[in-house]
Amino acid sequence: MAETAMLRKRMSVSASESPEELRPPAWSFVPRAFAPLLVGTVVAGILYFFVQPAIGGFGSNLLLFAGINIILAVSLTIVNGFTGQFSIGHAGFMALGGYTAAAIVYYGSFKIYGDASFHGGLVSWTGRAGGFRGPLLGSGDLLFVGATVAGGIVAAAAGWLVGLPSLRLRGDYLAIVTLGFGEIVRVVLQGTDEQLRRYDLELIRSTPMLKLMNKLGGALGFIGIPAYSTVFWVYLWVAIMLIVAVRLKHSSYGRALLSIREDEIAAQAVGVNITRYKVRAFVLSSFFAGVAGALYALQIGSINAGELGFQRSFEILIMVVLGGLGSVSGATLAAIILTALPEVLRFVDQYRMIVYSLLLIIMMIVRPQGLFGVREAWDLFRRRRPRGGA
Amino acid sequence: MSDAIGDNLLLDVRDVSIRFGGLCAVNKFSLALPPGALYGLIGPNGAGKTTAFNLLTGVYRPDGGSVYVQGKRVDGLKPHQIAHAGLARTFQNIRLFGELSVLDNVRMGAQMRGWHGLPGTLLRTGRYVKAERGIDRHARQLLDIMGIASREAEQAKNLPYGDQRRLEIARALATEPKVLLLDEPAAGMNPQEKHDLMQLIRLIRDRFRLAILLIEHDMKLVMSICERITVLDHGETIAAGNPSEIQANPKVIEAYLGEPV
Ligand SMILES: Nc1ncnc2c1ncn2[C@@H]1O[C@H](COP(=O)(O)OP(=O)(O)O)[C@@H](O)[C@H]1O
Ligand SMILES: [Mg+2]
Repeated sequence: MAETAMLRKRMSVSASESPEELRPPAWSFVPRAFAPLLVGTVVAGILYFFVQPAIGGFGSNLLLFAGINIILAVSLTIVNGFTGQFSIGHAGFMALGGYTAAAIVYYGSFKIYGDASFHGGLVSWTGRAGGFRGPLLGSGDLLFVGATVAGGIVAAAAGWLVGLPSLRLRGDYLAIVTLGFGEIVRVVLQGTDEQLRRYDLELIRSTPMLKLMNKLGGALGFIGIPAYSTVFWVYLWVAIMLIVAVRLKHSSYGRALLSIREDEIAAQAVGVNITRYKVRAFVLSSFFAGVAGALYALQIGSINAGELGFQRSFEILIMVVLGGLGSVSGATLAAIILTALPEVLRFVDQYRMIVYSLLLIIMMIVRPQGLFGVREAWDLFRRRRPRGGA
Repeated sequence: MSDAIGDNLLLDVRDVSIRFGGLCAVNKFSLALPPGALYGLIGPNGAGKTTAFNLLTGVYRPDGGSVYVQGKRVDGLKPHQIAHAGLARTFQNIRLFGELSVLDNVRMGAQMRGWHGLPGTLLRTGRYVKAERGIDRHARQLLDIMGIASREAEQAKNLPYGDQRRLEIARALATEPKVLLLDEPAAGMNPQEKHDLMQLIRLIRDRFRLAILLIEHDMKLVMSICERITVLDHGETIAAGNPSEIQANPKVIEAYLGEPV
């Protein structure tokens, strides 16, 4: 058999012992790792310095909330879209991150500066355009960035605690547990102690940070937080979120997540530890939800757990479903559309929510798989081979 | 018996059983696959063949008995751990990652022996790029061998039936197994396709130095390709031996109710 001979001749190379020539030169690591981030920084800068001043207060609010919603929708896509689990408590993680960052910046400012006013640089100036004289970055920015990351870490830790037991189990446990978690977070935050104010400065200074973490204003919400979260910072995080999600999706790691969603038994048969991957996806997703919460709280200068209940979680879920479960670009586009739609529909005023709901229903009938399905916007333009991992 | 079995057995199954409620789906199933074996597992519908595969691969936990892969005890381990130990399989009711591309399906198998840390994945380190290229190359070679390379960009669910079965084999091979379990790999194929597939299976066994256990309904096919056959009926092993022994076995003839064996 000629075919047999041909097959015999072909040499096999296994994945585990790939030849050294496949390794790219060492220096190429730097551009690969950081070029997209650099692009993201530049875009965020352009949006902040040039676009925002041109679109006015209404427009820049839309821009800000669209950015925060993109982070929320794309992070939820990692769990609900990639791994096919069903989390419906995303706002709970957002609230945790938001309150954590708010408390760190608010009480931290008192401890460091003796007041809760703005100590950042130009990139963090949320006030009137042109109303700021000073350097590009200030010491307060460090506090802000640190608090944002801390908010993400606290949310991620909560994600681990919630995910570990519930993701071991099959089926709908995650939905039930995350729903309960979101509500518990809301109730606990609404039951926190009264917020300390300027006239409590001595008390704030003498109380350790950890003990201040339960003085979050309860049902009244946590207010008077110095605002640092500008279009620049929001879109820098949007860039990081998108880079993470897209790189994840087009990698072995991300394919393992997708395989779980496609068929858990087959995924295990090719060696995927499905519990571990589900938990990691959930932790990563929670981290970015926490970051989004931090950006949100430090943008408007206040945060109220009452607004971060089930309804907010549901809004995020709708964005993910509308975009197409598993599509990063779809979730991004859906987040933009669903942020703008209620505002654009203001002209029909009291029918606004009805029209909004109708549009969603029509969308679900016409395109039940969402805008892009599991694919990406760029897949629709190229009919050639799907993107490679490298 | 000593536990030093299998110095050269790739798969050693001893008295594995499972009950579903009152039904004893598999009772004291035993089997030994040396390197290079190409054995068959046959029996009427509902005999417990697929269940036996599920027991070996950890989908079900055996009620009793033991399973060794390359001398390592694997019964009671999770399915993904058993896969890492060197046992791969295909499914009777095809289980591909339907929305993923054909290439991605095989990459999923190939990445089992690869490397993937999350930081490396997100930063695209040199180690990551190298690992991914290795996976890519490996996957494409297997698609080539299975004759479905031209379809690599298609979604797996859109492949014709026969190609889906071939893709399942490619994905299983990509995990670099020592033992391959094929559950009715030729189901739904025409005689010519079946014949070609069996040739391919023999070739794969030689090329990758595997041991293969094959479930197949077509008796003629099994008899022509397998060196040794185990026959199940109602969960019991009613016969085991080489094709001519099996053909002459009265219990087997009875189980198949006079079907020409
Ligand atoms: N998860 C299960 N629960 C209950 N009964 C099962 C289960 N899996 C298989 N069975 C039963 O075990 C028997 C053997 O099935 P199976 O192994 O699929 O047979 P086959 O030899 O055709 O592959 C059948 O009677 C089937 O109904
Ligand atoms: Mg079967």
